[in-house]
Parts: sequence; C-alpha cells; structure tokens
Amino acid sequence: MSKQSIRVDNLVKRFTKGEEVVSIVENASFKIDKGELVALIAPSGAGKTTLLMMIGCVEKPTSGVIYLGDEKVYDDKWLTKQTRKIRREKIGFIFQAHYLIPFLTVLENIILVPQTNGVSPEESERFAMELLEYFDIADKAHSMPSELSGGQNQRVAIARALANRPQIILADEPTAALDSQRSVSVVQMLKKIALEQDVAIVMVTHDEAMLPLCDRILKIEDKKIISSKIEGNTQETLV
Amino acid sequence: MINLAQKDISHSLGKFLVTAMGVGLLLGIVIVMIGIYRGMIVESEILINDINADLWIVQESTLGPFAEASRIHEDLKDSVRVIDGIKNAEALTFQNIQLPSPLKPTRVVAVGFDPHGTFNPINPERIVEGRDLQRSHYEIVISDNVGFSLGDSILLGRDNYRVVGITHGSVSSGGDPLVYISLKDAQELQFLYTNNRIRNDRDRGIKNNDAHMVNAIVARIHEGYSVDNIAKELRRFKHKSVFTQAQQHDILSKNLIEKSSKQIGMFAVILIIVSTIIISLIIYTMTLEKMKEIAIMKLIGIPNSMIIKMVVQETLLLGLLAFSFGAIFANLSYDKFPKKVVLEIPDSIALFVVILIASVLASFIGVKKVVSADPTTAIGG
Ligand SMILES: Nc1ncnc2c1ncn2[C@@H]1O[C@H](COP(=O)(O)OP(=O)(O)OP(=O)(O)O)[C@@H](O)[C@H]1O
Ligand SMILES: [Mg+2]
Repeated sequence: MSKQSIRVDNLVKRFTKGEEVVSIVENASFKIDKGELVALIAPSGAGKTTLLMMIGCVEKPTSGVIYLGDEKVYDDKWLTKQTRKIRREKIGFIFQAHYLIPFLTVLENIILVPQTNGVSPEESERFAMELLEYFDIADKAHSMPSELSGGQNQRVAIARALANRPQIILADEPTAALDSQRSVSVVQMLKKIALEQDVAIVMVTHDEAMLPLCDRILKIEDKKIISSKIEGNTQETLV
Repeated sequence: MINLAQKDISHSLGKFLVTAMGVGLLLGIVIVMIGIYRGMIVESEILINDINADLWIVQESTLGPFAEASRIHEDLKDSVRVIDGIKNAEALTFQNIQLPSPLKPTRVVAVGFDPHGTFNPINPERIVEGRDLQRSHYEIVISDNVGFSLGDSILLGRDNYRVVGITHGSVSSGGDPLVYISLKDAQELQFLYTNNRIRNDRDRGIKNNDAHMVNAIVARIHEGYSVDNIAKELRRFKHKSVFTQAQQHDILSKNLIEKSSKQIGMFAVILIIVSTIIISLIIYTMTLEKMKEIAIMKLIGIPNSMIIKMVVQETLLLGLLAFSFGAIFANLSYDKFPKKVVLEIPDSIALFVVILIASVLASFIGVKKVVSADPTTAIGG
C-alpha cells in the first residue's frame, strides 16, 4: 500500500467562452499523501474550486493525468464512465455553505450516500449517529436542516462528508461561514480525521489563521501549483 | 433505502394536495362525462327494452320510429298478424308533447298503445303508484319526475286526462320522461286537427284521413321461428321498412348516441390532456425548485436513476391522488346532474390506467431537467 492519495500530472484546464480561452492551470503537477491536511490557497478566481472539482471527478480537465489512490481515473479522458460512483465511494465533499438536502432530516442527509453505496440501514444509521455524537449534535438527528443554526448545519455537512468513509475529503472554504473559534475547532477536527482515518484532505481557505493547523500549503501561482511547508516560511508564503 | 419522493412531498404537502385536488376536479368532470355517456346508452334502451318486440315495422325507407319520423297505417297490424310465425302484433305511437306540469312545462314523450292489446310498453316493475292503463280513453300513466300525483287532471289537446299511474325511471331514447296514453287518444292528439282546421282543409279539397295512422307496428314471433327469416318475408310488403330488435338497438346507438358520444369523448380527451399538462407543469416547477438540491445530490454521487425515480414517483402519486379526488367528487355529485349519470367500475379503471400513462408522460420534462442538471452549478454561489 503506497502512501499516495492524490497525484496530478501535467494537469491543464482551460475554459472556452466563445472565442476567448481562459486558462486556469497549465501543466500543474502535485502529490498528496494519505493522512495529510493540505491547504489550497490562491486569490479569488484563480481556480481553487475548479481544481477541487477536477480532483473530485466533477469537472473535466482539458488534459493531464489524475490518480486517486493507486487508481488512474483521468488520462486525457475519464477512464471510467462511473465518475459518480467514484465520488460517492471515495470522496467526501464539504462546501462553504452546508448544502444539505432541505427535505431530508439531519440523519437522512448523512445516511443517503452510504445507503446508496449498499451499506445496510442499521450500519449506516449506527455510524451516522456516531458521527453526530462526535460533532455534538446527536440530539438534532431527526430535525430538518432549516431548524439548525449555520454552525450546526456545517457540522452536519462535515459528518455527511465522512459518512461514506472516504479516502479523500475535498473541502471548499469549510470555515467561511463560521466564527474564528469554530473555524479553528473545525480545522482541528479535520486534522484529527486525517490522522485517525488516514484520509487526505484538501481544504480551500482564505483564512490565514487556519494555515498553521495544516501540514502543507498548495498555491496556484502563474497557473502552476506550488507546494510549500508550513514551518519557517509560513509568512513568506502568504505574501 | 430513503424514499426521496415521499420525503420531498411531505416537505411540501399542502401545495401537493391542493394541486391534486385541482386536477382531481378536472378528472371528476371526466368521470361524470363518461357517466353521462353511459347514462345515455342506458336511457336510450329503456323504452325498446320495455316494449321488448322481436320486429319493428315502420315507414318505408325511414329509420323510425325513434331516429326518424315514421307513419304507417294502423291496419297493417292485421296483415302482419296472419303471417306464419307471428305470435302477436300491435300498433304504437310515439310523440313529443309539452306537458303543463305543476313544476314547469316539461317536454315528454307520449307512448300510445292499446290497453286491451297484447303489447304493453309499461314495464310493471316501473309502476310505483297506481296502476296500468285500463280504459281506452282519458287515462294517463306518467313518469314521477314530471311532478304530477295520482288523480291529477291534465289537459291535453281538447280533453282532460286523469293520472292513474306513476312510473319511475321510464325515459325516452333521448332522455325525456315518458307518459303512456291509449292508442286512440294518442292518434287523436297526433293526427286529428281542430274542427276549424278540418273545415278549412275540407274547403281546400284536402281530405283528412290520417286518424288511423300509427308510428310503428311491433310484433313478436313464435318460438322456433327465425326473426331474420320473418323479417325478410315482411320486407316483401311494399311501403315499409322492417327492423329486428337488434337492428333497432343499432340504429339507436349509431344515430342517436354516436354523435353525443363523440362529443363527450372529445371533451374527455381534452380534459385529460389539460390535466396531463397541468400535472407536468407542476412536476416541472417542483423539479425546478429543487435544481440546487438535485445538483448537490449529483455532486455527492447520487445516481441519476434515484433522482429520476423521485420525479416519476412524485408524478405518479400526483396522478393517483388527483384521480382519487376525482372519483370522490364524481361519486358525491353524480346524482345532482340533470342528466342520468351511470358510473361504472371498468370505466374508472380505464381512466385510471390512462391517468397513470399520462403521468409517466407528464414526468418527462421534469426528468429531462434532472438529467441535464450540472453538478458543478451546485457550488456556484
Ligand atoms: N464553467 C465555467 N465556464 C467558464 N469559466 C469558468 C467556469 N467555471 C469557472 N470559470 C472561471 O474559472 C476561474 C476560476 O474559478 P474558480 O471558481 O475555480 O475560482 P476560485 O479560485 O474558486 O475563486 P473563489 O475564491 O472566488 O471561490 C474564474 O475566473 C471563473 O470565472
Ligand atoms: Mg471557489
């Protein structure tokens, strides 16, 4: 078993809007190991979300190679027709807003994907309750998302991203809607999950305060992706 | 497994039910209209079934006496009676008259028959009060919905008639109430003019000898004879048309019912199409309102089949609920319609199947929307 969780080689992404071609990344390459919590930073519009969506098999790259774990999923084209199956089995998504399904209860939101993957109702519910306990909102299991606060919903959304026991978690500004104290605790929680479950986590953030909690920083710069360690050069990286 | 349709509907139950009720009213009207059609068929056959003849002899080249006017000499019945195989034959008259009813003037069809003859068009089961005609003059048996009571006196033409019997459920092929009078009275009403008119006609050299006309001769045959053979033999008489009971049924359904049934069928089809469009629009807007959730579900890996199942199930449930509301509406209101409404289970089952198929069709644009939803739009904004 290799340590590799995500590997991207020579990734190119261009959007064509009519005549105009907008280039997001050109020949970008990077690797993320299991158990790593990586921060993805770049100015707004630089392509952070686009990059996450390519890794998440949602947005089709223009060219390049993507590995998830040891499986090559993209090589100038999707190597499987079932990108959605990869998503629900291997990946957990967390967004800036919670994006829970409003007509399902908290518990149902969490068990939806595991049950689609064939996990038994008992097991999926047991694990969902365990996650809710962990996030301290077990008493809200049967509430609708509209009855919860923003912070509570965000915790439910994180629980949902964990419910299918993913190998990779892609988090797009998960703390943007939270106060700084909550943000720190959410990122600490993600770090703990990364370590305990051996999950690779890519987290987009604009919040500098979160960076010291991460293992590494990926930066989109001149359409390339630059990796930097946190210790020592943190300040430099952020300028 | 979580049933998305059920969860979504219970989330917006009120709107769903109100829509189902609205469409249900339309479907209720469809059910009632089919019932009116059934009622017309039932009513069209009441009179000829009550008369229960084997053969109908009417005026040459007419489809009488119901679909077309027919006049024929009364004494033809004597020539018919002597034909081999004929058991009995009688003359009958049918005419529209306006009765000065106590409620409001009512159009009725008067059936004239010989009370001492061998054919009685009054089905004894229909008499709810009083009795049959017994005398050859000035008695009338009348349908209960006209509003007369036993013993009332009604002025028809120049004479007063006494109500001796009340029937229930006796209607003409066109749905008008029936009254029964003696053949002689009927002939007088139908064929005799006022004294002034007779005098005037006489002055013009017109001789009025119509009084012994009738509208049809009906006959029954002995057992063991073939209706068709006797009909063939009767047709050799000049100046008349001959129909068997079965042919008379056909004439009624073709000429009297067919047009109305086409009309009713057209309306029913239009209403079903309108209902289908409403259902599909509702499902479409319900799907549009969920586009964000659908994009999220696709993004986190929920397969299309599950989301499509949700839309189709919602549509089917809407159709089913609407049909149920329609059936309830029809069953609560059918006896309040002026026309006879006959609700039959097979018709409802057929409509139910049509609605299910229409619902599946109605879900198409919603499903199309689901399939085309882009998961990347989920996180935009
Ligand atoms: N479907 C698309 N078609 C054309 N251009 C697109 C599309 N999606 C994204 N873009 C463009 O790609 C660029 C990168 O967008 P992206 O959302 O990845 O940025 P981001 O780094 O996540 O920004 P932010 O920090 O504001 O979220 C933007 O300029 C955007 O306009
Ligand atoms: Mg973004």
